[in-house]
Amino acid sequence: MYYRNKGAIVFSLLIPIALLSIFGFLSKGRGTSIQIGLTNHASGEVSKQFIEKLKSVKAFNIREITEEEAAAELGKGNIDLQVIVPENFGTMESDKPLASSIQTRFNSAKPQSGQIANLAIVEIVSNLDRQLTHSPSVLEVKSEGVSTNNLGYFDFILPGILSMTIMQLGIFGVAFSFVAMKASGALRRIQATPVHPVYFVFAQAFVRLLVTLANAFILIAVGTYFFGFHMVGSYFSFAMVCIVGILIFLGIGFAIAGWAKDETQVAPVANLIQLPMLLLSGIFFPRDGFPSWLKSITDYFPLTYVSHSLRKIANEGVSLVDLPVDFIGMGVWLVVVYVFAVRVFKWE
Amino acid sequence: MPVILEVINLTKTYDNDVHAVKGISFSVNRGEVFGILGPNGAGKTTTLEMIEGLRSITSGDVILDGIKTTDQPYLIKQRIGIQLQSSAFFQNLKLTELLEMFADLYGSTINPLELLADVGLKDKAHFLVKKLSGGQKQRFSIATTLVNRPVMVFLDEPTTGLDPQARRNLWDLITQIKSRGTTVIITTHYMEEAKFLCDRVAIMDDGKIVALDSPDQLIRQLLSRGFKPHTEVPPATLDDVFIDLTGKTLRD
Repeated sequence: MYYRNKGAIVFSLLIPIALLSIFGFLSKGRGTSIQIGLTNHASGEVSKQFIEKLKSVKAFNIREITEEEAAAELGKGNIDLQVIVPENFGTMESDKPLASSIQTRFNSAKPQSGQIANLAIVEIVSNLDRQLTHSPSVLEVKSEGVSTNNLGYFDFILPGILSMTIMQLGIFGVAFSFVAMKASGALRRIQATPVHPVYFVFAQAFVRLLVTLANAFILIAVGTYFFGFHMVGSYFSFAMVCIVGILIFLGIGFAIAGWAKDETQVAPVANLIQLPMLLLSGIFFPRDGFPSWLKSITDYFPLTYVSHSLRKIANEGVSLVDLPVDFIGMGVWLVVVYVFAVRVFKWE
Repeated sequence: MPVILEVINLTKTYDNDVHAVKGISFSVNRGEVFGILGPNGAGKTTTLEMIEGLRSITSGDVILDGIKTTDQPYLIKQRIGIQLQSSAFFQNLKLTELLEMFADLYGSTINPLELLADVGLKDKAHFLVKKLSGGQKQRFSIATTLVNRPVMVFLDEPTTGLDPQARRNLWDLITQIKSRGTTVIITTHYMEEAKFLCDRVAIMDDGKIVALDSPDQLIRQLLSRGFKPHTEVPPATLDDVFIDLTGKTLRD
């Protein structure tokens, strides 16, 4: 039945995949490279070495421009650090190196990238300095790159979008289709058969559960193959949380559909429930910035529990037993939602 | 004739103190077509739905095929076929699939094509319900009430809104169901329909049964009270003229 409604299938996948793609491309595009505007007035060997070293730093994106251009770009925020190499940099006078200084300027309003770049430049210059003055280096730092989980914004966002999809398929998918059966009289026709309504609701819930799981699977597959999503934890734990989450939101959908008379009553109530969760459960951005009262309210949202535990599993590899708070929260919601759904249910 | 349905002092009072059905009693014999007539709001549908177990009973008893319906509502539903006044079915399912689904809900096995042939819809087997005309929809709706081979079928205004051809076609179908020994309860607004189909009719008004007998007897009783029709009744009706001119074949 659901399978024949091709429009619904396509759209239920289209929106989360579109969102995934947007965030996926955003996080790809926003490279971590630091923009440097370089002006070289010197021509000697040392300045060449300096620039070579500078260019070998992978995190730097270097544009050689004039001082005036660089100053303007810095003002616009297009470059993070302006570097000026003076004419007498590294020149010798009667075999003794002349004292000279490289000037750097960064935007004091957003100092992070500029300061980091500055540190790297100080390091390069002091190395060159030691070469020129032939002073031995006593202290040094040895570092090597190790491969990490390399978590990016996309890895943060995918569990969020997945939770959102689970919520919306549960609440809207069930609420609208179920209330349509009710309004059209199809549900009443089922009531005229000897099938107990509980079985009918269970059958509906089971089909929805499978459909939503299939959606989740496709989202994870798209995220993994196209945008390099990293699953640190186990897929089994991830799927378990998905199932519990789906059951909660299906329950909310059934509660709304059971209570409502027709579609016009479903839309406002469903939105009233899902919008605050969509915005405040930390699925698109972390809740750390919330005022504490808001954070403590949103702590109890079902979507917060679902997205938080999905994120912990996907990003940190946490196992199910290490998420007792989330599971108690979800368990309580599961009971509350279904008790409520049975209480408010009306056949017509 | 043995009684299959017995209704005793059946009453329905809603919360807002509306007395929809006011203590009616009647019985239906096995194998007959029993009509419930009455204007809108007389309580016909409420009475049917209380008997079927779709609506709660305020007071009174219904005994169907020897079973008190409130004791075993699911067993009763297993044995009867219910056509609702406005039946809707799941979209996106073909007729055969819907029939199979309903058969599954009763735990019975059917040959959907055979059943569709019985109601004259064999050539529409792979259609969706929304593609059917009004008359076809009603015939399909009746087919869904037959999947469990019921002892009794409830038809709530099955011919309302149909054209004369489709209505007469439905009469044939109901006669055919009766000929297999199935008891039929039907509500209708059309007197000529009741006269054609029903062995006995109950006339309801304002929640009460005001008359119950065979159509011929009811007419005879009225005439014996000295009733004179306002106009001379011709031996044919306008309905007959319409059918004569446009033929009996279905226009769907």
